[in-house]
Amino acid sequence: MRYSLAIAIAGVSLLVSAAPAWAHHAFAAEFDSNKPVKLHGVVTKMEWINPHAWIHIDVKNADGTVTSWMVEGGSPNTLLRNGFTKASLPVGTEIVVDGYQAKDASNKMNGRDITLPDGRKLFVGSAGQGAAPDEKQDK
Amino acid sequence: MRLPNYLRLSLLSAVAAAMLAPANAQTQAYKPPRTADGKPNLNGIWQAMNTANWDLEGHSAQAGQVVALGATGAEPPGIGVVEGGEIPYLPAAAQKKQENYANRLKLDPEVKCYLPGVPRATYMPYPFQIVQSGKFILISYEYDGAVRTIYMDKPGEAPVDSWMGWSAGHWEGDTLVVDVTGLNDMTWFDRAGDFHSDALHVVERYTLAAPNVLNYEATIEDPQVFSKPWKISMPLYKHMEKNAQLLEFKCVEFVEDLIYGHLRKQPSK
Amino acid sequence: MGTCANNRASSSGWGPNTCRLLLLLLPAQVVFGQAARDLEGIWSNATITPLERPADLAGKQTFTAEEAAAYEKQAVERSNVDHRSANAEADVASAYNQFWYDRGTKAVGTRRTSLIVDPTDGRLPPLTPEALKRVQDTRAWIEQHSTDGPEGRTLGERCILWATAGPPMLPGPYNNNFQIFETRDQVVILNEMIHDARVIPLDGSPHLPSNIRQLMGDSRGHWEGNTLVVDTTNFSGKYSVRGSDANLHLIERFTRVSPDTLLYEFTVDDPTAFTKPWTAQIPVTRTKGPIFEYACHEGNYAMTDILAGARAAEGKNPK
Repeated sequence: MRYSLAIAIAGVSLLVSAAPAWAHHAFAAEFDSNKPVKLHGVVTKMEWINPHAWIHIDVKNADGTVTSWMVEGGSPNTLLRNGFTKASLPVGTEIVVDGYQAKDASNKMNGRDITLPDGRKLFVGSAGQGAAPDEKQDK
Repeated sequence: MRLPNYLRLSLLSAVAAAMLAPANAQTQAYKPPRTADGKPNLNGIWQAMNTANWDLEGHSAQAGQVVALGATGAEPPGIGVVEGGEIPYLPAAAQKKQENYANRLKLDPEVKCYLPGVPRATYMPYPFQIVQSGKFILISYEYDGAVRTIYMDKPGEAPVDSWMGWSAGHWEGDTLVVDVTGLNDMTWFDRAGDFHSDALHVVERYTLAAPNVLNYEATIEDPQVFSKPWKISMPLYKHMEKNAQLLEFKCVEFVEDLIYGHLRKQPSK
Repeated sequence: MGTCANNRASSSGWGPNTCRLLLLLLPAQVVFGQAARDLEGIWSNATITPLERPADLAGKQTFTAEEAAAYEKQAVERSNVDHRSANAEADVASAYNQFWYDRGTKAVGTRRTSLIVDPTDGRLPPLTPEALKRVQDTRAWIEQHSTDGPEGRTLGERCILWATAGPPMLPGPYNNNFQIFETRDQVVILNEMIHDARVIPLDGSPHLPSNIRQLMGDSRGHWEGNTLVVDTTNFSGKYSVRGSDANLHLIERFTRVSPDTLLYEFTVDDPTAFTKPWTAQIPVTRTKGPIFEYACHEGNYAMTDILAGARAAEGKNPK
């Protein structure tokens, strides 16, 4: 009985999540809606991985110290098909990240909205449009 | 009675020709069956029959890492598949290999059901299937459903690194040559801790050598880890069972306790 | 050649009996034309049309052209996550910017209001009492245990299987792509998410023995005219299609209806789960590739973070 319940559970958990809204409730389980965060930082690395890309940033604090944060994004595959590559978000790019902090209080957040400091969105359209300012326009 | 000269000479040349013929046949390359577009037909389910996945270099048998597994977890012996015998590590890298080996139960990506990379996918102890269709050749591996697409029409540079790499293929005569770049640095070559950086460059060669035998060679180049390129080679054997097919080995489920057990509400570790 | 049109298309051409006779004498490719059976390429089944007809559209089987355009606009607007919600919980759940997503933007070409075409009300048929109980028990269990361990999460979050691969292959929020390869003896469907190559033998071989069960079942295919019919059984039941169980018998049909579109139809036949079979049709369009690697488990920080977050909320610190 326990075994078949376990099977049913594993299967129907997909049933529950395949609700029409395709809500990414995994994020609701990972990040705390009571802890909104907005950071202005400098890109130190971008992991172009699945299931979620991660952008690492260094944030300068008021007292001059630096805190490293990890910002969770979506699957990079759509971006790759739009012509972006691992060179598309160079180390040193300044970005503004608006999101929510991880529930375990670590320096992780979801990148609910990521923009360049002047308000332009990242990675819109295909490579060369609206990407980081110093990206080569060779596509 | 003595044969006339002309007859003796003909007889002599006939005998000489007969003696030469077998040697000739041996040096003639195997003529494989071909697909509709005239290329050697590599379609089928293949598998290596060696212990390269335990250790690419020659190795004797030894006890396993998990006592409870007894002989089923012990390491079988193998003559080795590295041409020249030894992998030519740079001195610092040789040190890292030893550390990997000492900690292989914790560090081997295969233990965690991670994708095997290239060339390890080829000699995992599971079958794989080559699907050959003109502009693409797909290789589907039973282990963890790993797949790679070999682009036969110049795919350019890999936009990002990946576990199974970015494969560009072309034919040299009857040999499929696959140039693999864009590999990340997170796979191992075997269970013995043989590793590489993300500068890894692999060139594979697949040549049908006999009905149901595919000769496989891989040249491995990584100037950050090895002092020079090195090569492995092995035959791959076709599965001949009438009902041969790849089955599901989706091992992610089998390692959840291992990876997440300590985070469970009721910890399993 | 190729005058034996697919019965479904019912255009001009020789009747089925003539075609059957020709098939006795000539190879199928000659009778039907090779090109019509060419399913190769990279395809996407992204669409904004939902699986089930929304309740507020009950009785309305199709949109007019204007209604479809308005519906598309509304759906694209509604799913544009660059619009943030005032409600923080809803905002977190929207996850990230719109540029990461690749949903469909179009309704299906037939302007049907649901992907389900049978039953004709566009809704799933009722579950059997046993299936309903199973679903309710499971839902209750998940409410209590969703962060206790990996089993409380979906198969997608566990990096085991996504509905985009199924089978059946259902549209999702991104990576709705699959690539079809054809050889003489099989058709292979490579799903992007999560890197799975489904090999479909065409040689008439039987299914696996019934004691071998697989998450994605065991598929066998054959051609009926220009339609590839794929029959899948041997499901383990761990992946449930809206309530299906291990007795699922899935029939998929792929027909190329134009150079750049396929019609993908599937029937869920599972008498221990659904009171009757149901069928959906999804148009599939050629898409620019390539299919990129979706190595999921290897980078699944999210699973660690979800469980660690839950433990932190309980005052534990197991990391």
